[in-house]
Formats: sequence, structure tokens, C-alpha cells
Amino acid sequence: MTVLDNRTVTGDSEQESVDPRDPSARLGHLLDEGSVRPISPEDKSGVRAVTGRIEGVPVVAFCSDARVQGGAMGAEGCEHIVHAYDVAVRERVPVIGVWHSGGARLAEGVESLHAVGRVFAAMTKASGVVPQISVVVGPAAGGAAYGPALTDIVILADNGRIFVTGPDVVRSVTGEQIDMAALGGPEPHSKRSGVVHVVTKDEPEALLKARQLATLLGHQGRVREVDEADFGSLLPNNPRRAYDVHPLVNGLLDEPGVELHPKWAPNMVTTLGRLGGRTVGVVANNPMRLGGCLDSTSAEKAARFVRMCDAFGVPLVVLVDVPGYLPGVGQEHDGVVRRGAKLLHAFAEASVPRVTLVTRKAYGGAYIAMNSRSLGATRVFAWPTTEVAVMGAVAAVRVLKRRELAAVSEEERPALEARLAEEHEKVAGGLQRAIDLGVIDEVIEPAKTRGTIARVIAQATPARGAHGNIPL
Amino acid sequence: MAEVRAEMVANVWKIVVAEGDTVEEGDTLVILESMKMEIPVLAEDSGVVAQLKVAEGDVIQEGHLIAVIE
Repeated sequence: MTVLDNRTVTGDSEQESVDPRDPSARLGHLLDEGSVRPISPEDKSGVRAVTGRIEGVPVVAFCSDARVQGGAMGAEGCEHIVHAYDVAVRERVPVIGVWHSGGARLAEGVESLHAVGRVFAAMTKASGVVPQISVVVGPAAGGAAYGPALTDIVILADNGRIFVTGPDVVRSVTGEQIDMAALGGPEPHSKRSGVVHVVTKDEPEALLKARQLATLLGHQGRVREVDEADFGSLLPNNPRRAYDVHPLVNGLLDEPGVELHPKWAPNMVTTLGRLGGRTVGVVANNPMRLGGCLDSTSAEKAARFVRMCDAFGVPLVVLVDVPGYLPGVGQEHDGVVRRGAKLLHAFAEASVPRVTLVTRKAYGGAYIAMNSRSLGATRVFAWPTTEVAVMGAVAAVRVLKRRELAAVSEEERPALEARLAEEHEKVAGGLQRAIDLGVIDEVIEPAKTRGTIARVIAQATPARGAHGNIPL
Repeated sequence: MAEVRAEMVANVWKIVVAEGDTVEEGDTLVILESMKMEIPVLAEDSGVVAQLKVAEGDVIQEGHLIAVIE
């Protein structure tokens, strides 16, 4: 399904007469024309809540009213958000928040803090029950920052800013000089913090992305017949050479999907899209970045994505080409053990259909982490040139045959190493051994990839995990 | 000005750009070798390569300065 921008074409004079911060205008752009029904009064609470449709799919939405105290959240406005969540959970429909708010209302004191906390509680209770999407179109500070952060997907428009404490407080406390954009704008949140899943060039594009994502999660469809695509030429001939995995991800999908966190942990690609018309989540190693190695950040990013897909019954397609975990002091001290464990947990826990395709290689602990048979993959396929092993054969014999290798002269060593590696390959490694053990089900030709994966998903028993989607 | 630093321990296998070259975001600056993989280091910003701090054959550590783009 192609989701179209629903902005009606209007003359310049009409555009100028409407305050762009008017929540009715913003919600009007988000939702199908004529579908909007208010579920909160037009008041001075700073929040407007409505029901509506996106490409015909029913949703609940709310929007800050930045014209009132900069969209600050008071008791009344927070009540409207909690009510919107009650309706969304009752109707089992996605809920979309459009944020432009300085946080809790100062004048209301602890009453507003209590109210904002109730919003957080409502969001957490709805987590994993209904898809939650946030669109940040202006500043979202303090409580208004944690609102979006508790939801499944955060979209940031060019003018969106997310931070707990603003530049003035940062300056007075730590002495650091920084402006709002550098502190909490698109650049830091897309590349460094991982707070934001999608960054857009402007507000209309942000609302369009929310429409696409709400449809992908809210109307997942059924798998139909698919056309094949030939991926044979996508991999470089040299198995050591890096390549960009995006053409493979996009080629697997009916049309390019929506990539989440494209610039944060880019060694792992996480994309929502459709295969044969059905929504799927694709998780793929990207050899172009860090050689496709797993590291703590990419494991955490993928773990959250896997848990989100599982919570909403979105089947997973896992494209594996991974040389291992990234070695280094930085990684170990960064908690690669703790954060990498999240990915193991996420896959092992997932009850959605999940298909793995090893395209080139799967080594070591990273082999296990990328939705291996042992973690419960529905089916595991491999392209014909795949290598599967604990480590490369040469590296393995250097460990296993250390004494034997040390006993010969340096001139003889490379030849012995090659012979031992070949022998090792026969007993320990290789694709055939993986097939014999049943950890890879079948070798498939690249030109049969789409059909094979689509059939597995179509035939698998639909399921979804019974858990929330904590922002890992 | 943007500093490009190594994200992992690696050998510098090939230098692709020279100081003074103009690069676009996503262009390959140098190719590292690590984990049995050739790993391109990409420019994160467009600009001119002001400094190139590595040579082919160097062993570099995580965090090592590779290039400065202005």
C-alpha cells in the first residue's frame, strides 16, 4: 500500500491565515480528510485529542496546543492524553502524539507533575498493546521529552528539539555552551543518542512518515504472491569486501520501507516494510559499516526493534552477514555483554514467525545472536556461498594447532596452516555441517529469496508476544 | 570541522583520498582491515580533507584520528 501525503492543496492566502501551531491544522494534516472527530473539548488545556483515520485505518491522535503557554502540560491537558490512551486501548488502534511542548506547567506545580506522571503510566500500560507513534514538531522538553521516549517510534521534524533540560540550565549548571539544535536537534538524536527513529526535512514529511508507520503497524495485511528479484549480483565476488546491504533490504521488500535509526548504529539495519503486501520487520547486518560486526549499540537497537515487532505480531526477516562481535576495550567497558544479551533475549523470546537468511557468513557468538535455529528461528536459509563457523578456519587452527604450528620453521608454516585449515573445515565448519545438524534448513538460490521467505511467513502460525516494548 | 576516528582496532589497508581532496558525505576515505574484512571508513560530512593522519600498513587503535574534514 502506498501511503500518500493527505495535505489538501490550498491557496497561499488560506495557509497564511492559519497559525501553523494550531493543533486542528496539525491533526488535519496527519489524518484522512473529513475523518477527524474530537474526543476532547476545544479548551485552553494545551492539548487536543481526536479520533480519525489514516488510509482508512482507525487511529487515535492528540496534539500539543503550542499557542497556549507553549504547549505546556497541565492537569487538564494530561487528562485529555490519558483519555485518548483509554480510547486507543479499548478500540485496539494505534495512537499518535504530535508534540510541541515545553513540559509540565510551572504554575500548576506538583499538580502538573502528577498529571504528566499519569500520562507516562498510561503510555506504559498501553505498551505492546497498541502501536504508539510520536511526532516531535517543536521543542519537547522535560516531561514532553519523556512522553515520546516511552512510545514505540519517535519521528523528529527539522524544527523538533528533544531534551530533558534546555541550554540555559545546562549552561548554568555545567557551564557548557550549546544551542537547542546542537543539544537536542536532528543531528545529535539521529547519530548519537538513538532517541529518535526517523528524522525528516520538515513537518509535513514527519506527519507523512507517521501515516506510513501507522498503516504498517495498524493494517498489516496478508501475504500475496510475490515477484522474484535477482540478488545474485549484489554481493561482491571477494568475500572480504564490504558492501551496502540497503539494496538487498529494499529489494526484498515490495517497495523501500521505513528504516528506523538509519544513522545510529548503522552497522545494523532495522526497517519496517511490506513483503507480498504483508508488513514485516527486516533486521540486517550492514558490512559497509564496521564490517557488519555486532557491537553494543547495534545489538540494543536491533533488540528493541525485534521486541516491538514481536509485540505487534509483525513477522521478522533477518539477513545475516556478520564476521562476529566487535573486539575492543571500548566495547567491553561499554557493556557489550549486557547490551548484547538484550538481542539474544529479544530473539529467543519472540513468538512471531521469524525467518533467517544467511547471505555470506555467520561467525561465532554473532551467528547465535542473529536469530539462529537455537534461538528458535522459524526457518533458516542460506545462499550457496555461505560460511558458518565459530571463527574462520585459519584463525581456528592457529588456536587449536598452536603447538604443531610452532614446531615447524617459519617457511613451512603457511603451507601447514593451509593444510590444517582445510582439514578443520571438513570436520568443524562449512555449510554442509550446518545443514547436517539441522541448524540451516535449506540452501536457496538468491533468485528464489522473496518467494521462499514470503511462503514461510504465509504458512507460519500468526502469533504475537505478550509483553510491552520497554525503550531498551 | 569533523574528525574521523577509528571505530575499531584495525590495519590501514588502503588510502583512498589525499589531503586537499573534496569529499561528499558517504565517500570512502581509507579502507581498514580487521576481523577478516575490508572495512571502508566513510566521510560523515561533505568537505575538504584537511589532514590525513594514517598511512598504509599502520596499526590503529579504537579512537585513533584518521582524518580531519573541513
